[in-house]
Amino acid sequence: MIAPGGQAVPERPLQRICYVEDDEDIQRIVRMSLERVGRMTVEIVGDPLKALDAMTAFKPDLVMLDWMMPGMDGPTLFREMKRRPETTSLPVVFITAKASPRELEELKAMGALGAISKPFAPKDLPEQLRELWKKYP
Amino acid sequence: MSSLPEPRLETPRQQSAAGIRDRADPRLVLADRVNQLYNQLPVSIAATFVAGAIATVELWGQWLKELVLFWWALVLAFTVAATSLAIAYRRAADKVEEAAEWLRRLGIAAFANGASWGFAGAVFFRSLTDEQQVFLAFLFAGIASVGIPVYAASWPVFALYAAGILAPFAYVLATFGNRLFIEIALLVPVFYAVNVAIAWRLNQVFDSGYRLRHAYGRLTEDYSVLNQRLEKQLVELEEARRQVEASGRKLALFAERAPIAVLELDPQARVLEVNRAAEILFGYAAGELVDGHVKKLVHPEFHAEFDANWAKLISSREPQAGVRIRNPRRDGLDVVCEWTVTPLVNTEGRIVAVIAQGQDITRHLEAERLKKEFTSTLSHELRTPLTSIIGSLQLINSGVMGEVGRDVAELTTIAERNGQRLLDLINDILDIEKIESGKLTMNPEVFGLGELVREALVLNKAFGERFGVRFEANGPIAARPVHADRKRLLQVMTNLLSNATKFSPEGGVVEVTMEERGPSLRVGVHDRGPGIPENFRHRIFGRFAQADSTTARQKSGTGLGLAICKRLVELMQGRIGFEDRAGGGTTFWFELPRHVA
Repeated sequence: MIAPGGQAVPERPLQRICYVEDDEDIQRIVRMSLERVGRMTVEIVGDPLKALDAMTAFKPDLVMLDWMMPGMDGPTLFREMKRRPETTSLPVVFITAKASPRELEELKAMGALGAISKPFAPKDLPEQLRELWKKYP
Repeated sequence: MSSLPEPRLETPRQQSAAGIRDRADPRLVLADRVNQLYNQLPVSIAATFVAGAIATVELWGQWLKELVLFWWALVLAFTVAATSLAIAYRRAADKVEEAAEWLRRLGIAAFANGASWGFAGAVFFRSLTDEQQVFLAFLFAGIASVGIPVYAASWPVFALYAAGILAPFAYVLATFGNRLFIEIALLVPVFYAVNVAIAWRLNQVFDSGYRLRHAYGRLTEDYSVLNQRLEKQLVELEEARRQVEASGRKLALFAERAPIAVLELDPQARVLEVNRAAEILFGYAAGELVDGHVKKLVHPEFHAEFDANWAKLISSREPQAGVRIRNPRRDGLDVVCEWTVTPLVNTEGRIVAVIAQGQDITRHLEAERLKKEFTSTLSHELRTPLTSIIGSLQLINSGVMGEVGRDVAELTTIAERNGQRLLDLINDILDIEKIESGKLTMNPEVFGLGELVREALVLNKAFGERFGVRFEANGPIAARPVHADRKRLLQVMTNLLSNATKFSPEGGVVEVTMEERGPSLRVGVHDRGPGIPENFRHRIFGRFAQADSTTARQKSGTGLGLAICKRLVELMQGRIGFEDRAGGGTTFWFELPRHVA
């Protein structure tokens, strides 16, 4: 990115991640991966119904959503986020074990940044997120 | 079913008796007459001999003995000659062809016979006493009369015979100088004519009889031929009837015992007959369906669709298969059936009936739904715990959690590798399932094949290194464009490279080539492995196909890799195959059509 003064400034690093996931084991692995490997700050939300409030409070750089969750699934939560001014512009990456290419296309059309399939590699996860983050305008 | 022969029976032509007689072969009729003449010849010979003997005794002493002896010699000569003739005829081989010749010979003999009597009349009559003359006249009359039945089978023969007797006698009477005798002499020709006329008439009767005999013989022959033919046709007809009956029974048995519902419908879709399976399936007794419209078995909301399809069936007369219809049962539940509908068309091209065979696929559909659900479960419920397992192990093994003991590290590495293997298996099963259910959607794009090959080499480098195997491009890997699914093609390359790696000796090299073959591009992956066992070649692209694992350095893989590769390449309009490599090892290759912009 080139600053108006003509001086190159480093891109804003991806730092704060909010992850909505109901499975506690995966929550821990993602936390370890992002904190230890990626040196990021992580907010895990186990109940998707509380996710919107948590996001508003935490103010993440990027949101990761699990696809299948009890109570409210990832795509529904994503649509909810789009409806709220506080969350509407947050970049979203889906973590999914199942999603048809058509569904992914639909979500991308709605503004999702990307999708990472389960199982993911924890040691590569931070790097994958940073790659996606680069595409975020 | 074979068509039945039409029984064709020939009825004999109605014929009048005269017409029938015309059917007789004239040669056979003549032969018969000649035969009759010769059969009666011994009677004539005997009569001549006996009468001759009596006359000789009567004349002996009255006349010159030499002349009487001479006459007697004549009679004997005739007897001998005629007997020889009769014997010759009896021995003759061909009595039919030479009948006319035998008749001629008999004519001569008859004339000679008559003439010998004529000689007696001419020589002896004048000088006899009145009583002797009466005796001779009677004798002559008798001899001449006897000739009628004997020679009547041919009146000319009789005419010759009688002429031989009567002509000299009449002459002697006429020139006797006695008025009475002259009158008698005048009566002799009349007597002769009457006798000849009678012989002629008899001749006609015999002729007619023989002709009838032959004509009826021929008719009988014709009838027996007809009868034989009729009998044969009856046997054939009976056989055909048995066949039809057997086919009918078989057909009825097929329909009756078939586990599928069979309905016979008329062209207006009215039910003519239903089998037992249909009764059970739909819960109706046959009587409740027969004569009614088949739409009773079609859900009302599909009636319009049914009518359209039926009209198409009737106009096209082509059988339809795989027609899925929701059929309401009598109890109100629906069953989904797959129908095969076949119009039966007769030789005039008219539809006589429509056979509908329906299979209940409700359970099959339910099984399909369950399978889909299972696949989805497999996909999600198995991947989620695997995410935790592999993720945890990977974090430990990557060292970000701090150093662990050597033995522990070895064990967690094993655990991670096998977790990955389990994941590969799940992915492969899902892929195969998707491909086979036709749900795998290709996302084709145009890209350089060479580029993709190089990418695959980079991506799999680490895997190769784990086995001490190096990948090497052999020859140019040019950026020729193809129209294919990039991700799926990468999957194919990865599979082929990983297979080649696993079967290569440590320190070995897997060569990758790319060449143009006509309109196609061929990518080859060449290893120096042990080659593919003969008994495995035919099923190498099958599901769960793995050769004896001792040939692989490490047993791994799901046995689905090549099956997936084959289906993927074929979905991209390509081909895949393998061949032995000169100097040992195997080459796996795939070909894709080159993209032409």
